[in-house]
Amino acid sequence: MRAARPSAQRLLSRRSMLASAAGAALAMPFAGRARAAEAINFATWSAAVDEVKAHLAAFTTKTGVDVAYSNSPFAQYRETMITKFTGGAPIDMLWVSDSWLPEFAQAGWLAPIDQFKNLTAYDAGTSDFCNESMMYEGKQYGLTYYTDYMGFLYNAEILAKAGFTKPPESWEEVTSQAAAIKAKGLLQYPVVFGMAQESWMIEFISAMVYSHGGRLVDGAGTAVLQDAKSGAVSTLSWLADAVNKHQILSPGCVTTGELEVLKTASAGKAVFVLLPKYRLRVLNDPAQSQVAGQFRQALMPMGDGGSHSTVGWMRFYGMTPRAVANATRGENTAKLMEWFGGKADDEYRFQKTLLLDLALGFGVKALYDDPQVRASLGAYGDVDLMARQQALAHKKDTIAPWFGEWNDSFGTAWQQAITGKTGVDAALKLAAAKWAELKKAG
Amino acid sequence: MQRITHDERAAFGLLAPLALVLMAVTAFPILYSLWISLFAVNLRRPARQPFVGLDNYVHVLGDPQFLESVGRTALFSAMSVSAVLVIATLVAVLLDQEFPGRRILSACLLIPWAIPSVANGLMWKWIYDANYGALNGLLMQLGFITQGMVWLGDAGRTIPLIANAFIWKEVPLAAILLLVTLKGIPADLYAAAQVDGAPAWRRFLHVTLPALRPGFLLVALYELLMAVRHFDLFFLLTEGGPGGASDVLAWRIYVETFRNLSFGTGAAMSYLLAIATLAMSYALIRSMAQKL
Repeated sequence: MRAARPSAQRLLSRRSMLASAAGAALAMPFAGRARAAEAINFATWSAAVDEVKAHLAAFTTKTGVDVAYSNSPFAQYRETMITKFTGGAPIDMLWVSDSWLPEFAQAGWLAPIDQFKNLTAYDAGTSDFCNESMMYEGKQYGLTYYTDYMGFLYNAEILAKAGFTKPPESWEEVTSQAAAIKAKGLLQYPVVFGMAQESWMIEFISAMVYSHGGRLVDGAGTAVLQDAKSGAVSTLSWLADAVNKHQILSPGCVTTGELEVLKTASAGKAVFVLLPKYRLRVLNDPAQSQVAGQFRQALMPMGDGGSHSTVGWMRFYGMTPRAVANATRGENTAKLMEWFGGKADDEYRFQKTLLLDLALGFGVKALYDDPQVRASLGAYGDVDLMARQQALAHKKDTIAPWFGEWNDSFGTAWQQAITGKTGVDAALKLAAAKWAELKKAG
Repeated sequence: MQRITHDERAAFGLLAPLALVLMAVTAFPILYSLWISLFAVNLRRPARQPFVGLDNYVHVLGDPQFLESVGRTALFSAMSVSAVLVIATLVAVLLDQEFPGRRILSACLLIPWAIPSVANGLMWKWIYDANYGALNGLLMQLGFITQGMVWLGDAGRTIPLIANAFIWKEVPLAAILLLVTLKGIPADLYAAAQVDGAPAWRRFLHVTLPALRPGFLLVALYELLMAVRHFDLFFLLTEGGPGGASDVLAWRIYVETFRNLSFGTGAAMSYLLAIATLAMSYALIRSMAQKL
């Protein structure tokens, strides 16, 4: 038995060697193709699809790296991606909202990009709030897809009809100008803000709080919104008064989303609106707006002791641990990320495309000096004012792993104060307590 | 002991694939969600999902937000089911009469029922809009109001307005079901009542309504199930707002599961809803079946 064993082993070994050799010989013509076909998996929400596809085609032509592109609706994107990550779906690069960064990073679904110096080199030329919005626990997690900030937009024609030659500088002036417009019977509700429970709500609120010189959460991650000096108290008081006392803002604001604000303003039923700056193009486009040419941008009005600050947000390209686990895949993903979020053929081609085609904002400061960019923005707004406002934008301070959960109860408390169901102080104390509870739970 | 025949074996064999598919797509998810409800499953913390037994159920039952949503669901269901029953009965009685255009009216009646629920929600969102809504436009043209009303922004009106949209969609099917029951009432009963000198309202009260009981049971049961777990209109019209005024059970389960990603407590809420629905259905069947 013992003597037979080596022989059997040798036989087996010889057989398996022959089989392996034959298999390898058969597989050889396909091996190269199989490696080349191992594409980078890139997931986005369903926006700028044509632009992405065209830019991807150019990338593959230039580098020979294939990319498998997929997209899903923004409304369900976060849930879709979480389900995919949980189920172990192969994803290498994806669009990420700054709101989800901590929870994605903490769950181990995103990998830092600090090791790719070709990517972090772009930070120097990018707006500070953009870079800060892509950082979590001291590490950078991506490169710009697009960025923008909440802009204060006004209908100059209606304002002029009411006898005002300048837009409001402060929230107090917003109240007085809106009251005058209402008194003249020009509009029932001159102020149209979106306070519906939707993803934009936190941006609307943060913009107002920042302009009141405050914050919702301090640098240490502690909720300060209930503090009388935080800016949130004066912001919510202003909103509640605007609805209930001055009646310049419709009580319907609590069911008005960002899109409804845009529609109302486009129909000429609003003088003062808070909207993402890129919406200015739609408002001044004759094909999409009944009041084209009438809307202007002003710096955010200031609250008591506040400034013209606003909130900026970031949508960025993130890389997964799966991508960096393999050196070649990691390098190819970094190349793809640079192609989209950085320079492609020595220019910020994709960021420019997004601006020219869709009016989406950019984080690269130098693009404000680009003649093509200036011509495009100048067609519907004041380019220098846009750049000035962008320089005053700050990242959202409420971004934490528990943000999604907190935002729900925060929105409810905020709405209850606006509708007069609870007081301002009680609503903010409730929201602050919820923050503390979730922070403690981690 | 009876032997299984060849035909029966063949029948089992033919049904087995379907039974397996049903097990895979129905029984497994139901049992798996029950399993999940016993763990602290939050997708934000995929590596930390300890077994917690019935803690999720205890937590949910002690959560004031959940209990308030139960109250709102009860209010919405009571409003919707009773209104559907009353309106559908009147519509069914109307369609049971002979008059010119009855067939066209019957066909038109089905339109709301045939509209997809998401389209129905979007349509009502547009109707109720405070700035450019059709309802405000109509009321202004009729001279009832001079300024646009804020419909969904008023916390006190939200549930009745959503119930109205729900009723509009549900009445047609309920009316058809009741009409079928009406058609089954023997004409002799009406003839006998007429001979006894009973006026129309007495005939309705003492002949039509008692005979409609089986239809009422069916409609009440179906509408109750639809109302208790209704989600679409709350999602499309108010997202639980304003200020939580339309935060009903189905919405709370959605928020807990898909926004907060807390699948453990979300599953526990779903099971509590399922148990409550089962209990209500049983009580309804018992109480109405006794009178049949």
